[in-house]
Amino acid sequence: MWNKVAVVGAGLIKFGELFDQSYEQMAAGAFKAASEAVDFGFDPSLVDAAFVATQRGTLWGQEGVGGNTVPSAIGLSGIPCTRIENACPSGSDAFRVGAMAVASGVHDVVLVIGVEKMRDKSTEEGLLARAAAGHPIYTRGETAPVLFAPFATRHMHEFGTTREMLAHVAVKNHHNGALDPYAHFQDEITVEQVLESPPVCHPLHLLDCCPQTDGAAAAILVPAERAAEFTDKPVYVGGFGVATDHPYLHEKSTFVGLPATVAASQRAYEMAGLGPSDVDMAEVHDCFTITEILDIEDLGFVEKGKGGQAVLDGETQLGGRIPINTSGGLLAKGHPIGATVVAQLTECWWQLREEAGERQVAIRNGIALQHNVGGRGSGVSVVNILTRPVT
Amino acid sequence: MGAAILACGGAAPDWRVDAGGVRAAWGGPARAAESGKQAKGRIAVCAPDEDTLTLAWEAGSRAVAAAGLDPDAIDGLWWGTTRPPFAEGPSHAYLASALGLRPSARGALLSGSTHSGVDALLAAADAVTAGSVSTALVVASDALVPGLGTAFEARCGAGAAAFLLSASGPATLGPVATHSRPVVDRYRGDGEEATRDLYDARLFREEVFVPEIVEIAGSLEMPDDTRWSLPDPDGRMAAAACRRLGGELASASVFEALGDSGAAAPFLGLVATLTSPGPAGVVAYGGGRTTAVAVDVGGPLSDVADLAFLVGGREVSYAEALRSRRQLVPSGETVEMGLPPGGAAFVRGNPEMLGLLGGRCVDCGTISTPPSIHPHCVSCGGPKLEPVALARTGTVHTYVVNHTMPAPFEAPLALAVLDLDDGARLMVQATSPEGVEIGADVELVLRRYALERGVPVYGFKARPKPTTRIAG
Repeated sequence: MWNKVAVVGAGLIKFGELFDQSYEQMAAGAFKAASEAVDFGFDPSLVDAAFVATQRGTLWGQEGVGGNTVPSAIGLSGIPCTRIENACPSGSDAFRVGAMAVASGVHDVVLVIGVEKMRDKSTEEGLLARAAAGHPIYTRGETAPVLFAPFATRHMHEFGTTREMLAHVAVKNHHNGALDPYAHFQDEITVEQVLESPPVCHPLHLLDCCPQTDGAAAAILVPAERAAEFTDKPVYVGGFGVATDHPYLHEKSTFVGLPATVAASQRAYEMAGLGPSDVDMAEVHDCFTITEILDIEDLGFVEKGKGGQAVLDGETQLGGRIPINTSGGLLAKGHPIGATVVAQLTECWWQLREEAGERQVAIRNGIALQHNVGGRGSGVSVVNILTRPVT
Repeated sequence: MGAAILACGGAAPDWRVDAGGVRAAWGGPARAAESGKQAKGRIAVCAPDEDTLTLAWEAGSRAVAAAGLDPDAIDGLWWGTTRPPFAEGPSHAYLASALGLRPSARGALLSGSTHSGVDALLAAADAVTAGSVSTALVVASDALVPGLGTAFEARCGAGAAAFLLSASGPATLGPVATHSRPVVDRYRGDGEEATRDLYDARLFREEVFVPEIVEIAGSLEMPDDTRWSLPDPDGRMAAAACRRLGGELASASVFEALGDSGAAAPFLGLVATLTSPGPAGVVAYGGGRTTAVAVDVGGPLSDVADLAFLVGGREVSYAEALRSRRQLVPSGETVEMGLPPGGAAFVRGNPEMLGLLGGRCVDCGTISTPPSIHPHCVSCGGPKLEPVALARTGTVHTYVVNHTMPAPFEAPLALAVLDLDDGARLMVQATSPEGVEIGADVELVLRRYALERGVPVYGFKARPKPTTRIAG
């Protein structure tokens, strides 16, 4: 395992439609949460660089969001800060780049923070406006569900995956979300409710889709050899991988899997020197129910084509063979894009430290995996592996 | 005249509205029996992604395919339409590009009234006769926007027809008679959205229309078995004129199927006569001008299958028709296209969007679409791609139906990933979700993707083939 960098603090603010909080206030809240999670206390002035993940500013009236926004908002104006934008995996990539910055020796104490305002504009003017963005012909009408729904259509056609199987993903993740005080939604739902919810983008219905959520999350990274200054329960960065694929849907070689996820996870497994069967739990990108089914197949947890049945059989629920999205996932916890990942990593951090309360799963090998995929045509995927030595 | 028709093609838009329903919406009698013959049959209405250009493209494409010609062999395009998609702008250049004609093709866009179709025919025939063009494509298309609550509204249809002309062919164009009178019939003032109806229908009929048609068509001295394609502004005038001319009224079925398709109407009536040999006469009227052309049909140029478009179409409500004609618009803002339609992306991209081009990798043969955003092959990464026209048919690999979009998008919108017959893969919108399923056979047809800041934006969409639609 790589294990050159330790995560000594991680935290997030309660996700939801945070109409009463600005981007800056959310960032400050997340930094405070991560600082307070450091076991031996944390002096904010120790931070010597920050990497911020914000996927887009246009949803709250900004064009670009410079790296200077966050240090100013958290009382650290002057430190080096770089914004990472890499679609839905922006936060995973900021984490990866932050870890590389620490491992390189250039920076010592690095803050990785994801902040995203999704609800300052109406859905029509905000997220759905992407229907008119991009290529005037070949992406016209391409809202976010269009990026994943064709995979559901084809997965159903080739493997007999059903809407009921998809619905079970949502039911499971809402169950987990109901146990997570930070989740946007904290109510159980039923398979019938998912099936009968209004169609959004056939074959996906409303409860097959993640909500629009504001949120922020942060993590504090230090060199492994300095971890003991901050905690006696360090979590390490075991490995990571990034991969790209073509950006347009018609360039996809397959519609039953996401090649970027396969390649990113292979790189991460190789770097960490382990395989999917070693993983205790995973936070994966479930922007839509079908995405989680593709993910667990592409990450190697389940054979290709068997994802729907695995969910039906309870293999991915709390206490199952490979618990997936114990936090509630994007479907229940929410998907404030830049913050999503850092929140996923926070859940992995809690699980490895066995601090996840009612959601706690059995930690056998001390290995958790965090995954995202996104961008036009699901063309970017990032996988991070966190580890904690099991005694 | 030294010009003849080589081949023909027709097209009608996707939607049909019950003419009686339109009348009923304004308190008129809903059924034809209650109202004389005013509101007979159905009227053809453009779906939101259709207009006079997409109709002209489809009719023109069918004529070119019927002739078995490479479009590059056509060196002239004459297009007549009362309402070109750009009131000012590149209408003709867009149509020529989408049809795959050579950029050096000559021709003209004729407009201003429903007489414009025959203006295009005569201009093309003159060019062919003079030898300045060897093969001319003539297209007439119309989709008028009628004034709300007018009698014309229950009559106003849409359609297109096209002819390929050359020095010789199965149907020879004969004598022409034309006559102008400075009278106001249906008209639209500069800046007005909708066409105004006749000021006094009886005045027009008795003093202008019937006398003009009978006199001008009669001057051709056609034989008694002539099949006439006559304009028919109200559903009665053509029959009245034909009784006085003698011969058979061949255009009645076209009017009954589509309503008054304006500049296209006389041509569609002529297409209906080209199914068998014999004398034919086509008369156009519009803007005070009347023109009659004799056609000697030596052999069949079309058959019943070519006229299938007359009986197709999807029944829609009057409200849907109003929405499609932009006479019923939602309140609030619409979402702007990310790119300005006059900008550089369209200067670069229009030829490959209108021509449906891909880039074929010279190393591995994979086609990447469109070329301008693919300097390298999506399969092997190779840097050498040659532009190719994509296959126009294929099957659906996977698809979605989007129900959740802001205005100006209209749900439900199907988007389909296609495996084209040349091996290329393409994701485009479908013309309708109906019949879209994995494995369905589709053809690619030109449609209007957007009307952006007043500018039409065109590209190809997938349309399930009729056999698939019946099976589906």
